[in-house]
Amino acid sequence: MASERPLLIPSPRIQNTQDLFTVPVLLDLFKSNSGRPGSFSGMETKNPAENSSSVEGTLNSSSSRRSILSSRSKASGGGGNSTREVSFADLGSKPVRHGSRGADSEGLSTSQKEISDEDARLIYINDPVKTNEKFEFAGNSVRTSKYSFITFLPKNIFEQFHRVAYIYFLVIAVLNQLPQLAVFGRGVSVLPLAFVLSVTAIKDAYEDYRRHRSDRIENNRLASVLVNNQFQPKKWKDIRVGEIIKIHASETLPCDMVLLSTSDPTGVAYVQTVNLDGESNLKTRYAKQETLFKTHEKEEVVGLIKCEKPNRNIYGFQANMEVDGKRLSLGPSNIILRGCELKNTEWGIGVAVYAGRETKAMLNNSGAPSKRSRLETHMNIEIILLSLFLITLCTVVSACALAWLLRHKQELNNLPYYRKWDYSRKKDYNYYGLGWEIFFTFLMSVIVFQIMIPISLYISMELVRVGQAYFMIRDTKMYDEASNSRFQCRSLNINEDLGQIKYVFSDKTGTLTENKMEFQRVSIWGVDYSGAKSQIEPVGYSVQVEGKVIKPKMNVKTDPELLQLSERRNDTKEGRHVFDFFLALAACNTIVPLVTDTSDPTVKMIDYQGESPDEQALVYAAAAYGFMLIERTSGYIVIDIQGERQRFNVLGLHEFDSDRKRMSVILGCPDKSVKVFVKGADTSMFGVIDKSLNKNILHATKSHLHDYSSLGLRTLVVGMRELGASEFEQWHSSFEEASTAVIGRAALLRKVANAVENNLCILGASAIEDKLQQGVPEAIESLRIAGIKVWVLTGDKQETAISIGYSSKLLTSKMTQIVINNNSKESCRKSLEDAIVMSKKLTTVAGVTDNTGGSSEASPTPVALIIDGTSLVYILDSELEEQLFQLASKCSVVLCCRVAPLQKAGIVALVKNRTADMTLAIGDGANDVSMIQMADVGVGISGQEGRQAVMASDFAMGQFRFLVHLLLVHGHWNYQRMGYMILYNFYRNAVMVFVLFWFVLFTAFTLTTAINEWSSMLYSIIYTSLPTIVVGILDKDLSRRTLLKYPQLYGAGQRHECYNAKLFWLTMVDTFWQSVAIFFIPLLAYWGSSIDISSLGDLWILAVVILVNLHLAIDVIRWNWTTHAVIWGSIIATFICVIIIDALPFLIGYWAIFDVAKTATFWLCLLASVIVGLIPRFVVKYLYQYYSPCDVQIAREAEKFGTLREVGDVQIEMNPILGPQRR
Amino acid sequence: MSSRGATSSSGGPQLGTSDSSTRISKKPKYSRFTQQELPACKPILTPGWVIATFIAVGIVFIPIGLASLFASQRVVEIVHRYDEECVPPIFSSNQLAYIQSSITNKTCTKNFTVPKRMKGPVYVYYQLDNFYQNHRRYVKSRSDTQLRSKAGELDISTCKPEATTGNNSPIVPCGLIAWSLFNDTYGFSMKNKVLNVSKKNIAWKSDQEHKFGSDVYPKNFQSGGLIGGGKLDASIPLSEQVDLIVWMRTAALPTFRKLYGKIETDLEANDEITVVIQNNYNTYSFGGRKRLVLSTTSWIGGKNDFLGIAYLTVGGFCMFLAIGFILLYVIKPRPLGDPAFLSWNRNPSGIMN
Repeated sequence: MASERPLLIPSPRIQNTQDLFTVPVLLDLFKSNSGRPGSFSGMETKNPAENSSSVEGTLNSSSSRRSILSSRSKASGGGGNSTREVSFADLGSKPVRHGSRGADSEGLSTSQKEISDEDARLIYINDPVKTNEKFEFAGNSVRTSKYSFITFLPKNIFEQFHRVAYIYFLVIAVLNQLPQLAVFGRGVSVLPLAFVLSVTAIKDAYEDYRRHRSDRIENNRLASVLVNNQFQPKKWKDIRVGEIIKIHASETLPCDMVLLSTSDPTGVAYVQTVNLDGESNLKTRYAKQETLFKTHEKEEVVGLIKCEKPNRNIYGFQANMEVDGKRLSLGPSNIILRGCELKNTEWGIGVAVYAGRETKAMLNNSGAPSKRSRLETHMNIEIILLSLFLITLCTVVSACALAWLLRHKQELNNLPYYRKWDYSRKKDYNYYGLGWEIFFTFLMSVIVFQIMIPISLYISMELVRVGQAYFMIRDTKMYDEASNSRFQCRSLNINEDLGQIKYVFSDKTGTLTENKMEFQRVSIWGVDYSGAKSQIEPVGYSVQVEGKVIKPKMNVKTDPELLQLSERRNDTKEGRHVFDFFLALAACNTIVPLVTDTSDPTVKMIDYQGESPDEQALVYAAAAYGFMLIERTSGYIVIDIQGERQRFNVLGLHEFDSDRKRMSVILGCPDKSVKVFVKGADTSMFGVIDKSLNKNILHATKSHLHDYSSLGLRTLVVGMRELGASEFEQWHSSFEEASTAVIGRAALLRKVANAVENNLCILGASAIEDKLQQGVPEAIESLRIAGIKVWVLTGDKQETAISIGYSSKLLTSKMTQIVINNNSKESCRKSLEDAIVMSKKLTTVAGVTDNTGGSSEASPTPVALIIDGTSLVYILDSELEEQLFQLASKCSVVLCCRVAPLQKAGIVALVKNRTADMTLAIGDGANDVSMIQMADVGVGISGQEGRQAVMASDFAMGQFRFLVHLLLVHGHWNYQRMGYMILYNFYRNAVMVFVLFWFVLFTAFTLTTAINEWSSMLYSIIYTSLPTIVVGILDKDLSRRTLLKYPQLYGAGQRHECYNAKLFWLTMVDTFWQSVAIFFIPLLAYWGSSIDISSLGDLWILAVVILVNLHLAIDVIRWNWTTHAVIWGSIIATFICVIIIDALPFLIGYWAIFDVAKTATFWLCLLASVIVGLIPRFVVKYLYQYYSPCDVQIAREAEKFGTLREVGDVQIEMNPILGPQRR
Repeated sequence: MSSRGATSSSGGPQLGTSDSSTRISKKPKYSRFTQQELPACKPILTPGWVIATFIAVGIVFIPIGLASLFASQRVVEIVHRYDEECVPPIFSSNQLAYIQSSITNKTCTKNFTVPKRMKGPVYVYYQLDNFYQNHRRYVKSRSDTQLRSKAGELDISTCKPEATTGNNSPIVPCGLIAWSLFNDTYGFSMKNKVLNVSKKNIAWKSDQEHKFGSDVYPKNFQSGGLIGGGKLDASIPLSEQVDLIVWMRTAALPTFRKLYGKIETDLEANDEITVVIQNNYNTYSFGGRKRLVLSTTSWIGGKNDFLGIAYLTVGGFCMFLAIGFILLYVIKPRPLGDPAFLSWNRNPSGIMN
């Protein structure tokens, strides 16, 4: 398990989605290697300096203007504060970045380059015939179904045989077809395989049928397509590449198309990509202005698009378009993808470039990740043991057979029951010499004892997991009302791993917190307007425009003092700073305001759409203080300042990148001055301030920032400066140059940005609260009591992380904090060594560490480790890892702040590779993907930040607190059920094999089976399979209440209590005894009697079936009607089957059961062998449960006898984790 | 089984069909089933239950054991091994030559006394030892199709090496089982009066009616190079050849009895019975033993003390366990479900590591 995986490629387990993530990473890496470390952000911003309001002016460059909005790094908007994606570059290390977005801008800049002809696909606009004549591009009909009616059988069977287990089955079945080896009838031996194959095939067929149905619906939807210069409705499946399609508002895109024109005069279209990446905000896409005014009905657009081959990168696209002899470059902002919806745009016209299965959506249509569960890995060891055992049995049989043959060598020719000499043919009959005979005996015994390897177990396990998943999905306690999302089981292989988790690695933002930012406090010009003193309820600022009231969608708490200040607009210095500050908040962002109607016709709602929740919060805050962003077009923004509409020309925008950790906007103000507003992280901002500034104000701001982050708030620093005319000219020319550069545009733009973002005057700082999700402290508490170590990995600042740690009860005041915060390897080594010594001292002084919090009265000093990303750079992938692990294993809490996405994976790997303990990673954003994939179990939060985490996860849910239910309840159940089921299946099959084996010893070591061949095949299919599956799905050792009340019970899984080598061997001993009882009691009772082989066989099979089912019945914990039905039903079904088999006249055992069942001996043998078989197990079970009870056992008793409540309530005050009641 | 299908379809554009504006709550419906809260009985192995169970097993098993032992004891059984005795002393060093020769006199007369009164019907068995009627080669060497009807006469593929005669005409009944038909015969007489041995109902009715055809007559039987055993009267259909039918219901174990016939009269104690044995069957070549068995029957079948002893043992053991558990419970009881016994309450650091 502990494999050394290169960090670059996160984990091989996600076959399909992985490419999506790694491609950009690699791309980025290559680029960066070529001289520009850490570059992943470019600026495509190119704004006309020549101001102005004229539409034409803005149009000139609208095409490549604002790719920013389209696909920027998520963390961008928040400026420096949202350091959730700290790149490696600023850590001085590999410029690798995980996530799919980094390479976009690079992709754009390379899109200027020629796409070589063989790599390109040529699309003649509005000429599908010509487009498709040379290369037959995929049509637009999609097929997610795997099979057609004809291909189903061969294809499905081929796929199924990818499993090794089935191959084993097949080999056995094929061996049995050889005449020399035909132990079972030829038809019978294929039965198990056929059964398994057909069950799977039926399941696949059903799934495929559903896909067919949804495909059909999808393919028959209508879109309007330009045919004969007229838009006509056409079915989606008939759309071809090269056709021009018109999409109306709220329609879904049928294929990937390059936008040609939109209803908006500037060529903007808004799309919602929720179906593609889960992000519900609107993104902007642009039509090239060269194509913008071509009215397609009248004027034929002739052009050629040369674009890259279909690929799965949804954030990248590069192409050239030749229109009217001009050559234009197209980037990801010019293409709308299938599955997106057009919003807030009346119509959009585009040309289809990728259709059907070549669309990016379809290429990204990946399956669930597949992992192998820990239990299954353990199980494989036992399977190997069983195989060895099987080989031993076969060898014993062969050896005995050899001895027998040697002893009877002389007699073989006319031994009545052997007679190898065929007198009529004068040759040996069916005898190939001793060697061959023994070899055949060996193979035959493999065939007879084949079920020693419980193939049916694999099928049962899958069915059980499906059942368990069904119940997890249906659990009302894991349904999140806020996001209307159920629990999702994306991986069906690791249900039981949930019961053994020892480490939880959690992201902070969006996972522990809601990622709903709320503007809390502000510090302007050294004055803290906390509003804490007299905070008034949000009134909601509104403005009147043309008789209509415009209100922001969200109200923000305001500070009355500051509100007055901002309203007064006095020309004092103070007032001017307040003005500038809010102007910066309103302008320095990439938010798009959307005005929507409300139920009240006089009131309009303004909704700020943007990719960064931080930015949204800031803009809403600015609006509350009277700086309402009303309109944002490509060239200007309109801000309503205290009722007065002002227009600012956006001259340039330097986008956020994690190098600079800030963003800036250059505004042309109405008073003809040009100002640059910058907002960013404190660390980056204090590096570029005007040194001559007032130290006091600076100092005050810094201390405010410290206060804010101690409160757990996310901070941003805002600065500005005025640009002189010459300076502006200089900037402008270099900006123009950089943004039109063909090569290295991103780096050039960064240089330009750095040049202008300096000597800033600090206006102030803002503090945004990221609220803890409901139930997080309680959940963390429960997890810790359960003995799970919770590590929080966050990109936030140390202070913020620590304060969140406190509020989430991760850290307590009793803990000693060890902070590691270093800048070099040597100092890291030293502080690690010190810390280890210290933690040792602390733990030894206190005697025993108890970080589970189980008993609150005796609490030694727990240690919390807080380490930052910079130190981790030196520690991870070096020999210091070992020390860090040692230290971390002593600490009850580990908090890593300022970590980059790949470091998160590194930390998970650190633990995973060094212990056998199970790790779980939980996160919600693209930056958590690497760690989710690295951990044994990955859980995605389907929250605010898109679906990437969910797509990469094994399980997905709406809230962090569901983790408690998932692990403590379902994990516990699943583990217990699965562990028991595996053992039971081993036992069940081994009993049967032993019974067969004992009989072989009485048949001169020939592989005769007394038990009818049909019965032995049906044994694991009908006679005994259903009970174990149903019990595996439904049995519960403890109720949900108990498990939640005593999280410590989770330890059963961590200690491998339900499945371990000891249990395996005990089971095998029991198996041995039971088989002896079953076999030898009838044998001795019937020795020397006139019993025939079939009757005795019937007795044995019935005894075995009854015994194994009763064995299960003894172990069932909860008997509900399904359990009763299935266990007793199986026994009855066995009787019926045996009767049916014995009623078939062509079989040797015809009527045997009827004959033998009339005798008392039969029933006495049956009773005796079952009871004798069960006694040892029953006794041991009782003694163990009564005199050496495990926790689960005690809790079960307590549950039954009700002793739990009184004592439990007094003892542990559990915070109730209520149902899904959210605001 | 791949689980890919179900999820993969949701990742793609299909989602496009679900309009986000019409937000249907995906909240799972509550039902006791889906929440895994079905009413259930939760048995726990309490001392009371366990002790009661063992006592109950004891109470059931001991009487059964006594009854079967008693029944077994009442069965009167006369077992007489004759394979050695019935070879004339001159052949004792070469039994094989004696049994294989067609001229030697195979008749062998034996006398024995009835030890106890045997109430009719008295079953006459022959018992063979060390004869593997369950040998793989042997059990397969038959053709049920051929036995069942005339039409299947040629279905002899499974019968080798006893499928056809030298000139390729099929043998009916074919196969090793039929070929090795047991052919010792027993003639009983008491006080010079012949004791009639009835062959009625010695074979299973089901076999006679469905497995052995009434239109199938023996053909080419025992005409090959090696005579394996009994010959059959070619004028009697197979369904009437009860000895063959009994023989062909192959025994489960290498020591077995087969029903030879029934003596319908009662035999009194100390009756002298003379049996004239035609010692034809060759068990000498493989060291098999032959026994003649006369036995009465009871509800438990033949004479076999094993079941009775087993039941008594198990019943007694269960009683013993029950007493042991009672004592253990009295000496060292444990309150059920006492949270004080939970590991983290017993030992605060127990849950660590």
